Amino acid sequence: MPTLNSLAARLALLFALVSVLLLGSIGAYLYHSLNREIAWRDDQMLRGRLERMEALLDDGESVAALRQRPQLYANMLGNRDSLLWILDARGEVLIEVNPGRLPVPDLPASDEVRLDDVSGAIPARLAWQTLEQGGRPLTLVAGKLLDERRQMLAAYRLRLWLALAAGALLAFLLGWGVSRRGLRPLRRLAEQANRIDVRHLDRRLNDEGETQEIGALSLGLNRMLDRLEEGFSQLARYSADMAHEMRTPLTNLLGQTQHTLRRERSAEEYRQLLESNIEEYERLSRMIDSMLLLARTENPSKEIPLEIVDLGLLVEQLCEYFEGMAEEDRRELIHHASGSVEANCELLRRALANLLANALRHGRSGTPIRVSTLTTAERVELRVQNQGDVIAPDDLSRVFERFYRCDPARTGSVDSGGLGLAIVRSIAQWHGGEVGVESSAERGTTFTLSLPRVSRDAAVPPPPARGSA
Amino acid sequence: MRILVVEDEQKTADYLCKGLSESGYRVEVARDGFDAQHLFTEGEFDLVILDVMLPGLDGWQLLQLIRRRSQVPVLFLTARDAVEDRVKGLELGADDYLVKPFSFVELLARVRTLLRRGPPRETEHFRVADLEMDVLRRRVTRQGERIALTNKEFALLELFLDREGEVLSRTYIASRVWQMNFDSDTNVVEVAVRRLRAKVDDPYTPKLIHTERGMGYVLEDRS
Repeated sequence: MPTLNSLAARLALLFALVSVLLLGSIGAYLYHSLNREIAWRDDQMLRGRLERMEALLDDGESVAALRQRPQLYANMLGNRDSLLWILDARGEVLIEVNPGRLPVPDLPASDEVRLDDVSGAIPARLAWQTLEQGGRPLTLVAGKLLDERRQMLAAYRLRLWLALAAGALLAFLLGWGVSRRGLRPLRRLAEQANRIDVRHLDRRLNDEGETQEIGALSLGLNRMLDRLEEGFSQLARYSADMAHEMRTPLTNLLGQTQHTLRRERSAEEYRQLLESNIEEYERLSRMIDSMLLLARTENPSKEIPLEIVDLGLLVEQLCEYFEGMAEEDRRELIHHASGSVEANCELLRRALANLLANALRHGRSGTPIRVSTLTTAERVELRVQNQGDVIAPDDLSRVFERFYRCDPARTGSVDSGGLGLAIVRSIAQWHGGEVGVESSAERGTTFTLSLPRVSRDAAVPPPPARGSA
Repeated sequence: MRILVVEDEQKTADYLCKGLSESGYRVEVARDGFDAQHLFTEGEFDLVILDVMLPGLDGWQLLQLIRRRSQVPVLFLTARDAVEDRVKGLELGADDYLVKPFSFVELLARVRTLLRRGPPRETEHFRVADLEMDVLRRRVTRQGERIALTNKEFALLELFLDREGEVLSRTYIASRVWQMNFDSDTNVVEVAVRRLRAKVDDPYTPKLIHTERGMGYVLEDRS
């Protein structure tokens, strides 16, 4: 049984509605034409009778003679719904053929033929004319009872209604059938979609040989599935990578602790164990922190507040922070940043700190690190440039991926756990910006963090500048 | 100084109790919100450490109850590093918060800060052993010899002196001296402390800045 939730049923109903409208208007038009036609013919007939009566009277047959043979008229008229009166000036009936027992109508005198309906218990259509006959005015009245015509029209109306109902029903059924047939590709699509689940994300909808609309839908859904599959596999990869990264500190923790507990140790040894454990815990804690930060910037559930950040001030602060580390390595931090950008100061600080830490970690000792800005109408580009080993082109595209390391052997406590640059990218993307990296022997390695100058919701007036407290 | 610790996790409660007791505080532990409410109405406390995820009466409700009765400093602990959680806590009248996992040194530093509250002590002159600092004139001397320090070195030494005898964690130092409120996973603080030591400690005895491995640094005269 079709319910209104079904597309086919809705279409069928619409079909039915359309056919009711169409058939209805055609029916109404035909009915009215017929009605007018019949009325016109009746009127013509009544006029004809008046003319014949007039001719008869002109032939010299006196009214008195005619009165002798009323049956003649009745017969002449030949049916039971015809009326005939001849009235004198006072309204007295001279001749009457009136099988319907209609009361004698009171009609105004008229030299021309006049036509009118009389309503009342017995409706009729009358035509009349006043003549001079032998110096006396006579009123000829011909009429026709409307009963028969009305009955006929009523029967016709009934047939029209029936045809209308039948047509609507037929249209509904046909529409239902056609829609169901037409929507069959949709059901096939649903069946295909039902076969896709988390374990079978590689399955795709068939978009070959389908109708244009279904094809477009399948194509769109397939693209969505591509993105979902990519997201899912990334998620799975992240989880695996994260578990793997956690293994190293946990192995150290377990192994060292068990080894120490195997026999009595000196207090100093226990102390060393605990201190070493703390380092591993801190590593784990940092990883969790980074993962949470990534989760937060990649799927921000709440708006993160934005402010106007003075880039000169921010970079100045960061250079002060890393100054000591750089000097230890005989390196110089050269600061050329200026301008401002609308951003979340904490997140931007963190992104830049990660870029600087990365440059310090991977650059060559004794070479400078340059931080500069490039401001265009729409964007602000922050660049961190250092001299060091050239990053291979294969690695260039992947350095921003989580847990990606150019040199797989290089995992150690100095490393940021492979999340530092992923965090930079995530923060950039959250701001509607992007990251990039270039590396060549002549110009060194340059990481860029490009942000829109005004954030996405520019309609909101920016909060008062706070620099970067 | 009496501290009320409201924490339902057994291990956390135990180590907080032990650690704070060893640091010289008198500690009461409540295991749920109703317990805490009872203890709070019974006794006088100088500080409340409150875990917001509690069975029964939750931390937020408890915080509101406490605020209705007194202005005792409240430090809340939360496992969720969500901005709205922190904002909510501070709006409800908490004085500070820590996100789990936190280091004990960090907690102790916050506790001390909260208990010392009141108008900030603007110390103009510090003296530990033969190390002297004149904050206003930005002069540091040891054994009477002038030591030249950079701005950040001066700020770091001032922090150490202001918190003499307290272990300061690396993250705490980073946030106070450089406003870096996250663990940058670099050895910036180690380097800074090493460079400060080279100027302030290395040429002299006794040594004043000590490394507490796994925890941080402390400045005190141990001679």
